[in-house]
Amino acid sequence: MDNLKKHIQENKHLFDEHRADKQKIWQNIESNLDTSRIIPLWRHPLLKIAASILILIGTYSVFSFFATSEFNQNQQNNIVHQELRDIDTYYKDLVSFQVQLIHRNPKLQPEDKKKFLSFMDELDEEYDVLKLEMAKNLNNEYILEAIVNNYKKRIELIENLLKQINTSKKLNTDEDYIL
Amino acid sequence: METNILYTHKDLVEKSKFGDRNSQYRLYELYIDAMYNISMRMLGIKEDAEDIVQESFIDAFKNLKSFRYESTFGSWLKRIVINKSINHLKLKKIPVTPLDQHEYHISEEIDEQIMAIDISKIKSGINLLPNGYKQIINLYLIEGYDHIEISEILGITISTSKSQYHRAKKKLVEIVNTF
Repeated sequence: MDNLKKHIQENKHLFDEHRADKQKIWQNIESNLDTSRIIPLWRHPLLKIAASILILIGTYSVFSFFATSEFNQNQQNNIVHQELRDIDTYYKDLVSFQVQLIHRNPKLQPEDKKKFLSFMDELDEEYDVLKLEMAKNLNNEYILEAIVNNYKKRIELIENLLKQINTSKKLNTDEDYIL
Repeated sequence: METNILYTHKDLVEKSKFGDRNSQYRLYELYIDAMYNISMRMLGIKEDAEDIVQESFIDAFKNLKSFRYESTFGSWLKRIVINKSINHLKLKKIPVTPLDQHEYHISEEIDEQIMAIDISKIKSGINLLPNGYKQIINLYLIEGYDHIEISEILGITISTSKSQYHRAKKKLVEIVNTF
C-alpha cells in the first residue's frame, strides 16, 4: 500500500460527505420488491417442487424397499414352498393310496376300518391346522416338526394296520396248514 | 476473527433471504449512506447515484440467496454498486480508464508531498480529474481495492491497472499542486 493510499484510508470517513434521501430510495426499493412478494417458506414454488420430489423419492424408496425385500423373501419362500409342496404331495399320495387300499381290503372288519379311518380323519384335521399355521410362519421349526410327526403317525397307523392284516393272514395260513 | 467479520449482520441477512421486510430495511439503513457515497464518488450526479443504489439494493435482496459469506455483506453489496456504476458510465460512453497507454512511474517523493496535503484538497483534486483517471483513483485510494480486484472490476490486466493508477496519481498531484 503506498503512502497516499494509507493517508486516504486513515481519513476515509471524510470522503463520505453525501447523505442519501433514505425514505425516497427505500420507497422505490420496496415497491420493486413487492412484485416478488414475501412468500412463506413452505409456499415457495421451488420448495414445493423440492418437497414433491422428496415425497416421490421417499415413496419410491419405501415401496422399492418393501418390494425388493418382499421379492427376495418371496423368492426364498417360493423355493421352500415348492420343496415342501413336493414332499407334502408325495406323502399325501402315499397316505391316500394306502387309505384306499384299506377301504378296498375285504379282509378287514368294518369296525377296524372305521376306527382306523376316524384316526386318520383326526390326523387330517390336525394336519390342516398345522398347514394354516405354517402359512403364517414358515420358519417355525415346531410346526414343521409337528407336520412331520403327523405324517409319521399316519404311516405308523397304516403300518400297524398292515401288520394286523398280515398277522391275520399268517394266522389264516397257519390254520390252513394245521388243517 | 476473520470468520466473525464475514458473518457480520448474519441474522439480518438470513432473515432478509426469506423476504423479511424489517430485516431488509435494517440492512438498508446500515448501508445506504456508504453505498450512496460510493456511487456519488463514481458518478458525480445525485439522480444517477440514487438510481444505481436503488437498483443495487433491489438486486442484492433479490439475489441474496446466492450470498454465501465468502465476503462480508457490505463488501458484497459494495461490489454490486461499483459494478453497476461502472456499467452506467460505460453506457453513457464516459471513459472509465485513461485513453493514453504510456507507463508512468511516480517517486516516493511525491507521496510525501501529498501526505502533507489537506484531505479536502485531495477531494477537490479527485473531482477535477478527467473521467478516465477518476475511477482508478476512486477504486484504489478510496474504495481500497487492490490491483487484482480493480483488474476484475474494470476488465483490464493487473499491469494496466498499476500503470494507469500511477498515471492518474501523477495527474492528481499536478492538480493538487495548483491549489
